[in-house]
Amino acid sequence: MAANSVSTPVPVAWYPTLAVAMVSVGLMLTASFFIYEATSSRKSRSLAKEITTGAAASVVLGFGSLFVLLASGVYV
Amino acid sequence: MPPSRPTPIVLLLLFALTAVSSSPLPPEDGIRVVSAEKRIDLTGPIVKVFLTLKVENAPGASDASQVLLAFTPTEVEHLAILKATRAEGKRKKKAYVPLSVEASDLAATPNGARLYSVLLSTPLKPGEKTTIEVLYVLTHTLEPFPAEIGQSESQLVYFRDSAVLLSPYHCLEQVTYIKMPSNRIESFTRVDPTSRAGTELKYGIYSNQMPNTYLPILVHYENNRPFAVVEELARKVEISHWGNVQITEQYKLKHGGARHKGVFSRLEYQSRPSMSGMSSFKNLLARLPPRVHSVYYRDEIGNISSSHLRTDSHKSELEIEPRYPLFGGWHCTFTIGYGLPLQDFVFESDDGRRYINLTFGCPLLDTVVDDLTIKVVLPEGSKNPQPSVPFETEQHIEMSYSYLDVVGRTTVVLKKKNVVGEHNVPFQVHYEFNPIFMLAEPMMLISAVFLFFVACIAYLHMDLSIRKSL
Repeated sequence: MAANSVSTPVPVAWYPTLAVAMVSVGLMLTASFFIYEATSSRKSRSLAKEITTGAAASVVLGFGSLFVLLASGVYV
Repeated sequence: MPPSRPTPIVLLLLFALTAVSSSPLPPEDGIRVVSAEKRIDLTGPIVKVFLTLKVENAPGASDASQVLLAFTPTEVEHLAILKATRAEGKRKKKAYVPLSVEASDLAATPNGARLYSVLLSTPLKPGEKTTIEVLYVLTHTLEPFPAEIGQSESQLVYFRDSAVLLSPYHCLEQVTYIKMPSNRIESFTRVDPTSRAGTELKYGIYSNQMPNTYLPILVHYENNRPFAVVEELARKVEISHWGNVQITEQYKLKHGGARHKGVFSRLEYQSRPSMSGMSSFKNLLARLPPRVHSVYYRDEIGNISSSHLRTDSHKSELEIEPRYPLFGGWHCTFTIGYGLPLQDFVFESDDGRRYINLTFGCPLLDTVVDDLTIKVVLPEGSKNPQPSVPFETEQHIEMSYSYLDVVGRTTVVLKKKNVVGEHNVPFQVHYEFNPIFMLAEPMMLISAVFLFFVACIAYLHMDLSIRKSL
């Protein structure tokens, strides 16, 4: 039975770097979301722009928090 | 054929036993044991017996496909493992082929002796000879006598066995060697010819023994080796395809030798170590796989710092020292945990299924485990788990719940009683896993964060003012 080792999708050595990078990008996107909300008036707000910024921020933050968990030893 | 050089007691015993053994012998009654050499190793808390049997199939009898081994009922109760191999090929090409051994219900044997049959890979033709090597391990058969000792006394134990091999066949020539851990032997039964050379006792050579002969002997000797008995061991192996196999082991350890009586004087124990606490132990060694990380050793109170971890490229050795030395009858409970890299243990086989390759048994060296439970927690979304263990275990499947779980993780539970070091062999658990299920965890986190953003947007779009603003 030829056996290949099962490898992880992302090399384990990258976990801490990826965690920090993704969380910081995610927080920057969150900041731009809230800045947009604060600076625009009720009439000139565009729902599409809000949802895209929110979705992008949540994807990056979601992966970032997963890598934070993996880098700190909680192998989910 | 009468035995040569018998003593009167021996003759009486023989007569009594052979009178009872009017049972029909199994079909392979053409087999005779030409020579038998039994080496009993009593240097530890368990009894290891190496038996070399040279058997011959009588000319004119039928082909023999199995060789029977007999054990007394007490031996069967304490039998931990029974292995047989046969040397095949000559000289340089000698290969030891393992043979399967099964419990056999053939033929009523005198005094309730139980038979195990060694199935030969190729049947033994009439007139042919072969050599079979058998190894068996007996646990909890050494009886401490005196049963209770003080702190500065040595531990003496009884060992009971037979001077001649209990076998359903005629035995032409046999000898038994018993190896002790030290020179102090209080007493031993003499069944001529018996001799003693330092730490080794020799019972033999006995010729022409009838089938089912049993000559009980009793050896009383000193054994100060650590009698470490793990009463319960619960091992949990958690597989995460993100790169880690986490193993957590919970031990209930006990000193299974002569019970300690009287007071324990720490002063005497530490000031005169050669005269005090000879039968106690304070260190245990655990052999772990190489490239182990995040090893911890703790109990209910907290972390135990008296431990050492030495790693090299082939193995890691963890030496643990419990909070107090263990004397006879004392218990101690602790947990050991460690993490291992995924690529060393989980592999993908040709048919697309993944499997994990682990070592069965207890990593602590020279211990007996009374009750072992191994739980292999497979990642979420695994299907069709299938364990393959080289010996008998109780198996069942259950569900465990852990971090970021939706449906739960399939867990394979294996249980076995009476586990010794010879059981530390690899075993596999096969399962099917679609890598797309690994995305379930980040998806859960993303949807949680996205829900927060949607809630913000909804709040900011809601108009809760009572008066319409211009």
